[in-house]
Amino acid sequence: MQEIKRRYVIPGDKIIEGNYKPLMNVVKSGNYLISTRVGIAEAGKDGVKVIPLSGVYIPRVNDLVIGKIIDRSSLSWDVDINACFFAHLPAQDVFGRDFSPAKDDMGRQLSIGDLIIARIVSFDRTRDPMLTVQDKDLGKIPYGEFIKISPTRVPRLIGKRGSMIQTIEQATQTRVIIGQNGIVVVTGRDPDGLSLAAKAIKMVEEESHTTNLTQRVKTLLNVQDPVDPEQPESVNASPGTESSTQPQPQPQPQPNNESSTQPQPQPQPQPNNESSTQPQPQPQPQPQPNNESSTQPQPNNESSTQPQPNNESSTSNNSKSGSSSKEKHRNDSSEKSSNNDSDIDQKEKKQE
Amino acid sequence: MSSSKRSTVIVEQLRKQQMLEALSRGKRLDGRDFESYRNFEIEIGIIDKASGSAKVKLGNTEVIAGVKVETGEPFEGLENKGALIMSAEVLPTASPHVEPGPPDEDAIELSRVVDRGIRESEMLDLEKLVLIPGKIVYTVFVDCSIINSDGNLLDATSYAVVAALSTSKFPIYEIRDEQVVDTGKTMPPPITTMPVSITAVRIGESVLLDPTTEEEACMDARITMTTQSDGNIVAVQKGFTGPFSVNQIVQFSEIARIKGEEMRSKIKELN
Amino acid sequence: MYNLKELALMDENGKRSDGRGIDELRSIKITVGVVKNADGSAYIEFGKNKIIVAVYGPREVHPKHMALPDRCVLRCRYHMSPFSTDTRKNPAPSRREVEISKVMRESLEPSLILSDYPRAVIDVFVEVLQADGGSRCAGINAASVALADAGINMRDLVSACAAGRLSDNIVLDINDLEDKEGDADMPVAYLPNLEQVTLLQLDGKLTTAQFSECLEKAINGCKSVYEIQKEALMKKYFGNEMELKEEA
Repeated sequence: MQEIKRRYVIPGDKIIEGNYKPLMNVVKSGNYLISTRVGIAEAGKDGVKVIPLSGVYIPRVNDLVIGKIIDRSSLSWDVDINACFFAHLPAQDVFGRDFSPAKDDMGRQLSIGDLIIARIVSFDRTRDPMLTVQDKDLGKIPYGEFIKISPTRVPRLIGKRGSMIQTIEQATQTRVIIGQNGIVVVTGRDPDGLSLAAKAIKMVEEESHTTNLTQRVKTLLNVQDPVDPEQPESVNASPGTESSTQPQPQPQPQPNNESSTQPQPQPQPQPNNESSTQPQPQPQPQPQPNNESSTQPQPNNESSTQPQPNNESSTSNNSKSGSSSKEKHRNDSSEKSSNNDSDIDQKEKKQE
Repeated sequence: MSSSKRSTVIVEQLRKQQMLEALSRGKRLDGRDFESYRNFEIEIGIIDKASGSAKVKLGNTEVIAGVKVETGEPFEGLENKGALIMSAEVLPTASPHVEPGPPDEDAIELSRVVDRGIRESEMLDLEKLVLIPGKIVYTVFVDCSIINSDGNLLDATSYAVVAALSTSKFPIYEIRDEQVVDTGKTMPPPITTMPVSITAVRIGESVLLDPTTEEEACMDARITMTTQSDGNIVAVQKGFTGPFSVNQIVQFSEIARIKGEEMRSKIKELN
Repeated sequence: MYNLKELALMDENGKRSDGRGIDELRSIKITVGVVKNADGSAYIEFGKNKIIVAVYGPREVHPKHMALPDRCVLRCRYHMSPFSTDTRKNPAPSRREVEISKVMRESLEPSLILSDYPRAVIDVFVEVLQADGGSRCAGINAASVALADAGINMRDLVSACAAGRLSDNIVLDINDLEDKEGDADMPVAYLPNLEQVTLLQLDGKLTTAQFSECLEKAINGCKSVYEIQKEALMKKYFGNEMELKEEA
């Protein structure tokens, strides 16, 4: 099938004529494919889609979302996940199967206003979204910088295989937890790093429809672009090889940090090359070749260094935001991003 | 009937912690100190069909006030005065928490507190707005629409009303053959003073002016004080469920006078 | 009397009371994203009409029994601020506002893919800050843009414009005076890409020939309005670039 030029569309715009498959935010009308959203239309071998630029979050099973506890009944919490429906987190998910409303005090685990990172386990046309915090590293987010962005910009913020967010994390020495629902929490010790990260995230949100965004974010973050090492990555970014180049969860250099109860020194981008590995006031991103996982800033051991009222060790849904959650999360999200956004990034990569 | 209710806005615990931590350092989440107002913009004459109008932006809070001048019977017991009628509606556009429908107790409190400042200061010399004593007087409607709500609706509405009234051009009505006639001419309204309100909330031991929605959701108590041009206090409303100490109130009254003068001069620049 | 009226509404050169020609729209300005808290919003100046529209949703329905199992509930509120009219309007909703809310909702529904959001609600709040004849059309135009801004799935925008009759002339876009003194006023809403009519009302007398002419004229007006709606949306989302630039 013929490739059409990507272009800006609004609802009702005819994208293309002919027998194409409507993929995302596209409907058929007569012989035309019509956009249903404001966004960027593109057509490929698979069909025609529109990457939307506005809209509330519509829950999807298996998405990781950041939600706010807004109410509780005797058996579950109501969670605002910034979507068209409130979600529910069953008390049993937190207390285990022998939860008893009479015996167990739900307020000891989560109170109104608490933020959680959770996975959507079920949602369909007839039922509200159901959450779980039962996976490793899900649960309460005890502190951090709270940022709300349009959910449509989440894939862009994550970037191709997490490239955008890694760039931000490394340059600002922060850790960024992203919910698919547009809620973002940034943690880190350096206030300047936090505010720089917030600035970069806002920039991605506002300029997500533009090309060369990665470059501009890097400029904002004062990251020097290592021309050569980037090259292989853009080659890898072609759709066919995508899955094979995804970062694997296992190469985690830092899984043991969690047990340590020491305040960690500010996480360093783990350079596999060279020189300056010292903590620096001005984060110095090193040229990072393709080994993505090793370049991730280590999650600082937040949970151990902060007072955490409710985080009792007895429960399995502990709120320690561990390192592997991030990996998982990344994987999860970057898949999504390849759905929605990959082509933008690919195009961009080619330019770079 | 009024009953206790849960807050419609639930602030994220981690935001609240940050807020309390910032307050302990004398700062607020948006970087302001306790006595600073947010960015304040005011635009007048935006509604040609009104005798006076003003749009006020206080941070993200946005209010439009419009003045309509008609004639009618005076209020009972106030036969020799023009009639002043104030209303305010928090439009359902203003936030996801507003239900369309008749004004709830908060919206009614809002318009009554603003009204009290205008009325008690005698900002408008209503005795000059009489056509036939006891029978026909000017009726001045001041209606406010809150378009977007991000806290401190009281002050934003107060400023919008004062700006709209003080810059309005009242139609001149006359009685000819016992009929009211609009002469087609206008006059400046009989303004005697400029009442402006200053609102603060208490969160713990911190008293903050011009609260945002987020700060209001964390507040223990609220207080509004309206002063007129000579600095005298003309209206007060202590709100919400927590108390203030006497000392806090006395201190606030001084702040309300100084800050009120500051806001008043900004509104006066419009004339 | 008849001549007097005719004189007031149209002069011998075919100019109307506000200086417009027969086929001329009033000036239209649309700004997208004006209400910070809303999911989508738009502000329109259409002649002297000044209207603000905020969209919330799709979101939870309250009370829950109003929810529909197979599609989204659309709610629409058309409301005039008390200072929006020549004589002060009572803020309580009038019968006129109730009817306009209804026809407005019905004119917008065909453009929306409501089956995508079962059990939820979309609220459209239309606030007329100043009214100048044709406020329902102006409100629909802003509402449709606000719905697109909110990212609701839509088959098309809805564009609206009235045409009417001033004695023997069929004219485009009836203003306040022409509405009151003219002989017919016919508001039309139209899906410009799908070429379907979603609102049609008539106030006044027309022959069938005049009716067809009036409808055609109104639809042409809708098409002109559509270009302005489109431009406003493009401006909000893509700045001044109408084309996506791809560097080779």
